[in-house]
Amino acid sequence: MFTILVEYAMEAISHAGTVLAVLAKDGVVLAAEKKVTGKLLDLSGTKEGGYGGSGEKIFLLNSNVVAGVAGITADANSLVNYARTAAQKHLYSYNEDIPVELLTQRLCDLKQGYTQYGGLRPFGVSLLYAGYDPHYKFQLYHSDPSGNYSGWKATCIGANNGTAQSLLKQEYKDDISVEDAVALVLRVMSKTMDSTTLGSEKLEFATLTVDPVTKKPKSKIYRPAEVDALLKKHDLAKKDEDAEMKTA
Amino acid sequence: MDSSFAITGKGYAIVAADMTVSRSIVKMQYNEDKIKVLGSHLLMAFSGEPGDTVQFAEYVERNIRLAQIRNTYPLPPPSAASWIRRELADSLRSRSPYSVNLLVAGYDLSTHEPKLYWIDYLGTMATVPFAAHGYGSYFALSLLDRYHDPEATVEEGLATLRRCIDEVSKRLVVTPGKFKVKVVDKNGVREVEL
Amino acid sequence: MNSLVQRFDTNNALSEIKRTSAIIEEDGDNVSDLMWGSYGGFGNLATGIPKFNIPAVPDPSAFLRLHTDDHTDPSCRIKIQHGTTTLAFRFKGGVIVAVDSRATAGSYIASGTVKKVIEINPYLLGTMAGGAADCQYWETYLGIQCRLHELRNKERISVAAASKYLSNLVYSYKGMGLSMGTMICGWDKTGPQVYYVDSDGTRLKGDLFSVGSGSTFAYGVLDQGHHWDLSDEDAQELGRRSIYAAGHRDAFSGNTINLYHVKEDGWKFIGNYDVSKMHYEGPGDIPGAPGHGYGYSIRTAGKSSADPPTS
Repeated sequence: MFTILVEYAMEAISHAGTVLAVLAKDGVVLAAEKKVTGKLLDLSGTKEGGYGGSGEKIFLLNSNVVAGVAGITADANSLVNYARTAAQKHLYSYNEDIPVELLTQRLCDLKQGYTQYGGLRPFGVSLLYAGYDPHYKFQLYHSDPSGNYSGWKATCIGANNGTAQSLLKQEYKDDISVEDAVALVLRVMSKTMDSTTLGSEKLEFATLTVDPVTKKPKSKIYRPAEVDALLKKHDLAKKDEDAEMKTA
Repeated sequence: MDSSFAITGKGYAIVAADMTVSRSIVKMQYNEDKIKVLGSHLLMAFSGEPGDTVQFAEYVERNIRLAQIRNTYPLPPPSAASWIRRELADSLRSRSPYSVNLLVAGYDLSTHEPKLYWIDYLGTMATVPFAAHGYGSYFALSLLDRYHDPEATVEEGLATLRRCIDEVSKRLVVTPGKFKVKVVDKNGVREVEL
Repeated sequence: MNSLVQRFDTNNALSEIKRTSAIIEEDGDNVSDLMWGSYGGFGNLATGIPKFNIPAVPDPSAFLRLHTDDHTDPSCRIKIQHGTTTLAFRFKGGVIVAVDSRATAGSYIASGTVKKVIEINPYLLGTMAGGAADCQYWETYLGIQCRLHELRNKERISVAAASKYLSNLVYSYKGMGLSMGTMICGWDKTGPQVYYVDSDGTRLKGDLFSVGSGSTFAYGVLDQGHHWDLSDEDAQELGRRSIYAAGHRDAFSGNTINLYHVKEDGWKFIGNYDVSKMHYEGPGDIPGAPGHGYGYSIRTAGKSSADPPTS
């Protein structure tokens, strides 16, 4: 019975906006597709999010972990809140950033519980965790609604994840740099997403690196303007005539 | 009346604690080990209220082990010390607080650095290059201010420790007796004879 | 004999009252039985027994305690200075005397410029720990008696005799609230000498003493650096460094260091050193000095215990 619920959740996720991540030797790159539900949705409030991004698909869980979510947004918000609290609890007890795998485990323990007890529905969310800790340096994990988790060099969840995975498999090289990983992520993303052109209203983007001076993990969730600038730099932005046509 | 000392040096930390257990005016035991080995690269010297000391030390020992089993890797010294401090701080405001003073020393494999923490029963923690608890600290701290070298070899470090113990033996009314000495470095923990 | 027993039985309230009234009523010209034991070695020193005005109450020590005890009653008017670090040691080049200059009353620093070395005469120094007034008064008084000894005997008093005089004096007031821990230092016919004398009546001859709340910290440095064949410069540096150690670690000691050196031709004041300046800069370019601040972080600046793999 409950396994069926999990199957349903998994199925729902495979239709959600794509989330894709690549582990590089000197960082982790994360991108997520936003499903724009309609032209009348007012997005003006999310244009300049607090710490970057519009906060729909990519979240900062702790100073050393950035997560991308795919699935039921309401469930995801609940999980993000849980993860942030778990990270702070760890900080309280141990005075250190929570190790990435430990944070993943915390969430998976919670998710697993919802597959086991009666009267409950599983979380309809898969997550990608891009993180850094002194034990295993840069890491990338994936967790699904059943509470399973696994570590990856490059992976993808959500719609068209099969296509993306095979593309990543072809193009991924060990000891890839963050810079190359950014290009790879954008390239794969542009091929998997339905729309022909990419823009900040459909894409969220983040990187996690280590600050060369402080040696502390540094996460960067791109602001919409920065996403557009990045796309332009990689020649994947909307054509100028598109913009002209719109204004005309 | 118990005394414990610890110092860091180039790539190591040394912890020393006296081996006597006294009750009233009687020495009940003179070969007690008051330094727990909490992990492959972690030591903890404990002193204070009889009864509390061993209970708390064993509680810490088992929990540090549990963390290692759960996470597959051991807690690094800063995290372990922070956790221990938190336990003492929480204990202080409980119905029966532990009256235990600690010196936590370890070798941090990720930063290739010895780490030393001075912790008292109130939950005060300080990261220090050298530390002492008990009456011995009144003699040893000024001595270490003068003689401690952060880049000393293990032999030089042991010689400085020897000075501390000699000074305490010379000036303290109740001579602490024998000392147990343990070293932690990149190769792990070992006991040494002074 | 019975009266003698009573006199030295400090636990007996009756004897205490008797002793008190005896001191008040004693005629200065009379040799008191208080001093007869010391008569043999000290000529007519014994006549110098002081007449000390004490409160005209049945129990003077309780009266004093009522007005000075800052533990039971922090609001009492008179507070006695307790925190101090003083030291003196003998070596081949004479005697080094070093003290701090802080006076505290409870948690309050009452003064940072106290002279804790009392210059009894050109050959004798006394240090001050415990009650400042007690030390100052009685050591000055000791100076008077030492001068009288000189005039009467045509030779300087020995350090042993001077310290014995003080010891006997404070002992006669035992249980009445005197608080002194002092070192009487000097050079006499027998060479450099250091005696420890306190208000309990303890008198000890020795090579090295430190007295006061910061003494343990001073001992830590002093014991480890001390040996008989120290040069004058190294000995002075050791004295200075040891008081610094106490000034740094003991909250009730500090401010400045006063350093004296007693040689065959009498004592010499070496200098006054600011403890904070010693911490950051050290005593400057003088022989025996390390050439940098005494402070741990200054001494070990740039050093690291990290041992990263060499690759």
